[in-house]
Order: sequence, then structure tokens, then C-alpha cells
Amino acid sequence: MAQLASPQRTDLDLAHFDIFVQGRAHDIWRKLRAEAPVFWNPGNEQFPGFWSITKYADVIAVSRDTTTYSSARGISMAVNPAEPPPGAGKMMIMMDPPRHVRLRRLVNKGFTPRMAAALEPSVREIANDILNDVAPRGACDFVTEVSALLPLAVICSMMGIPKEDWALMFDLTNRGLGPADPEYQTVPGNPQETAEQSRREMFVYFATKAAERRQDRRDDLVSVLVGSEIDGESLSDEEILYFCQLLILAGNETTRNAISGGLLALLEYPDQLARLRAERALMPTAVEEIIRWTSPVTHMMRYVTRDVVLHDQQLREGERVLLWYPSANRDEEVFPNANTFDVGRTPNEHIAFGIGEHFCLGAGFARVEVRVLFETLLAHFPAIALAGEVERLRSSFIGGIKHMPVRFVE
Amino acid sequence: MKVVVNRDLCEGNARCVLAAPEVFELRSDDQSYVLIEHPGEDLRPKIEEAVRYCPRQAITLVEE
Repeated sequence: MAQLASPQRTDLDLAHFDIFVQGRAHDIWRKLRAEAPVFWNPGNEQFPGFWSITKYADVIAVSRDTTTYSSARGISMAVNPAEPPPGAGKMMIMMDPPRHVRLRRLVNKGFTPRMAAALEPSVREIANDILNDVAPRGACDFVTEVSALLPLAVICSMMGIPKEDWALMFDLTNRGLGPADPEYQTVPGNPQETAEQSRREMFVYFATKAAERRQDRRDDLVSVLVGSEIDGESLSDEEILYFCQLLILAGNETTRNAISGGLLALLEYPDQLARLRAERALMPTAVEEIIRWTSPVTHMMRYVTRDVVLHDQQLREGERVLLWYPSANRDEEVFPNANTFDVGRTPNEHIAFGIGEHFCLGAGFARVEVRVLFETLLAHFPAIALAGEVERLRSSFIGGIKHMPVRFVE
Repeated sequence: MKVVVNRDLCEGNARCVLAAPEVFELRSDDQSYVLIEHPGEDLRPKIEEAVRYCPRQAITLVEE
């Protein structure tokens, strides 16, 4: 039925990586919002079909209703709900309440905005060190040498991972979240196996780490997890490992892309960069605008558990919906001049961190990291310019930038 | 009306404090607390904003 309702709109088809590598998705999302806000996207040999949800209000409505729209059978376009990924129901992000609530409560006190604020001085120190390292050279790959390093340092420190292993975590993250990108593939042409290898290597690493912390508790998140109980029961080894994998992946990839994409936006809109330089008090609204504009998580998938009508479309049990956050965050009905990058935008109630049950646990940290990085960057360099081609990640899940050569003038 | 904050969901984002400082207060345990359990109608728009913008959807307005 659903397929018949929207025949042959290949111009609205989002099930192709090329669209995202080439940065063409916003043109399609704009059309979808205007013409087919809840649109059945037929499947292909790579991806099963799905409903594209592109309006702000609909993304919120789906996010709020975790009973009808489940996370427990996977969360990305690539997943076939008939064959859920290994972490389904075990990793917190692929879980529904009530288990999700109880697992999240084990660590959420460590991630509140107040905790993030307390971390600010050390974030600033790391940011200064990173920029002092690249400054003498006058140029760098902004992604691998700046934006990736700050969030990586923060999450690794919180988890008690020694500095010599940070490069490994960066590598495992790229392979885990960008497995369709040839640059990161360990099994050429095979995203599933590339991601699976990354998961296995990470599990081996954290199994050792967890065993160490059972013997010798420290002030880090791995120690919290091995010491945690729900209803008098410890977390299983598997739950601990999935938890660690999630913290690493989520803790460094998304903030990296907000920072890279934020600088790219400022370079593409020099009037906004000049405005921010002239008026540093705009930094808090600039940070929110950067996060809205970049919306680093491109989509989350939900599995429809019962027949339901959404925005005049009949959804059936067993179908999938994809929530396109960058689209919701440029919904013309919510954001005036939605397609304009405005560092002073107020109000700016974007949902780049999601909303409700799965609202990004690290949002407070991301906000501090992005703000401190840009404060430090603008203070360090009076002029910054692109110095080569911007290379985007081959992914429909993460709005990633892999490489971005820049020049600095001190 | 009565305002309720779900202790399991609240994570101290303080969006409610920004929307309705008369009604919500962030305490040292990083949870939001309701200062006026049965607020007057004049506060309804602010409270509705707090409900709408709580990123965890932790606030409920109960009609009495």
C-alpha cells in the first residue's frame, strides 16, 4: 500500500550514499518537507525501504512515542529490522524504556550540563595545546589535527583510556561509524564486516580494561560501569562492552563534525565570521547555530510497532521510519530564514541532539567543547582560510567531514 | 493545574528554569524542582514552554 502511494519519485530517494558525499541531501529534504513530509522511500539492493520523516513537528512526535516507534531493532538506514544488529536491545541507544531509563541513570549524573561546566578549564587547556601544536606550521588538516582531537581527548580521559591509545580509538570510531567509506574499510567493499571488526577489536580492548578496573577501581566511567547494579544485579559483560563502545563512538565522532562543519560554515559565510569576531558575546548563540546548521547525526531509525497514522500517512507495523534531523532543523515553519546561517539566531530550539528518551547524553559536553574550541581558535588566529578540498564521509548516518585543509595566519 | 517533574528523566538541562524561573529551580543534585506545585493560570504559558522545550520531556502538566 505504502509503495503505491508515492510512485516513482526518484528525485526524493535518499537511499544512496552519493547524495551525502556530494552534499546534495538538503535539496532533497527541502522538497520532501514541501511535497511529501512523510514519504515512503522504496528500498534497493543496499537498503530496505523506509519512511522519510522531514518535518520538525513529526520528528518530535515520533521521538516522544517510544511505544509506537521502537529503537530496539537498530537505529540506522542500513539495518534490516528482520535481522537486527548484534547490539540491538543491548546497547543503550538501541533500547526502549524501561530498561533504557535504568541503564542511562547509571551514568547520567556524570554528564549533566553542570559537570560539563566544571570540565571547562581542562577543555580549554586541551584546546590551547592542540592549536599551539599546529600554529607554527601555518596550515593543517583541520579535521585530523584539530577538531577530532578535542572530543577524543575529553571522552578518553573520562573513560580512563591512556593517551597512547587515543589514536586507536579514533581509528576504531572511523571504522565503526564510517564503514561504507573506502578510506576506513578494513574489508574492501564490505561495510558490515568492517563495522563488525571494529566492534570486535573494541570489545577485546574494553574487556581487558574492565578486568583491570574490577581489580583496581579508578575515577573513570569504566569503573562506574563495572561497579554498577540494576535491581541488585551487575551489568553483564556484554552490556558493559556495548556501553563502552557507545560512549567512545558517540563521544568523539559527532562533536568532531560539529566543529569541522562549524568552521566550514563560518568560512562560507565570511560576514558571519566577521560578526562573531567583532562581537564575541554572540558565541553562545553561534554555538547553537553551528549545531543546528551541521546537525552531525543525520538520521535515527525507528521501528513501527503498530499500525499508526502520521501526518496523513498510514504506517504499518514492521515498517521503518527515518528521522532526518538536518531537515527538521531547517524546517521553514519553525526557523525563519531556515537556510541562512545566522550566528545571532534567537530563538533556536533545534533538535540536533534528538529529544525525549534518547536525547544526547553528551549534549552539555558537546556544547562546551564546541564553544571553547571556537573561542580559542578565534583568539589564536586572526585569519583562517580553506587550503584545499573538503572531503565528506560516505555515510547517510553521520554528517561527517574527513579532511579539511586550512591555512592559519597568526 | 499541577506541575510534575519525572525524577527518572530529568538530567538538569535547566531549560525549564530558563522558561519559568518562578516555577522551577535547579538544585545541587542536578535535578529540577517545582517551587509552586499548583501555579496560577498566569504562569501557564511559561510552564507550557518549559514542557515543550525540556529535552528529556520530563515535565508534565496535570489538569486538576
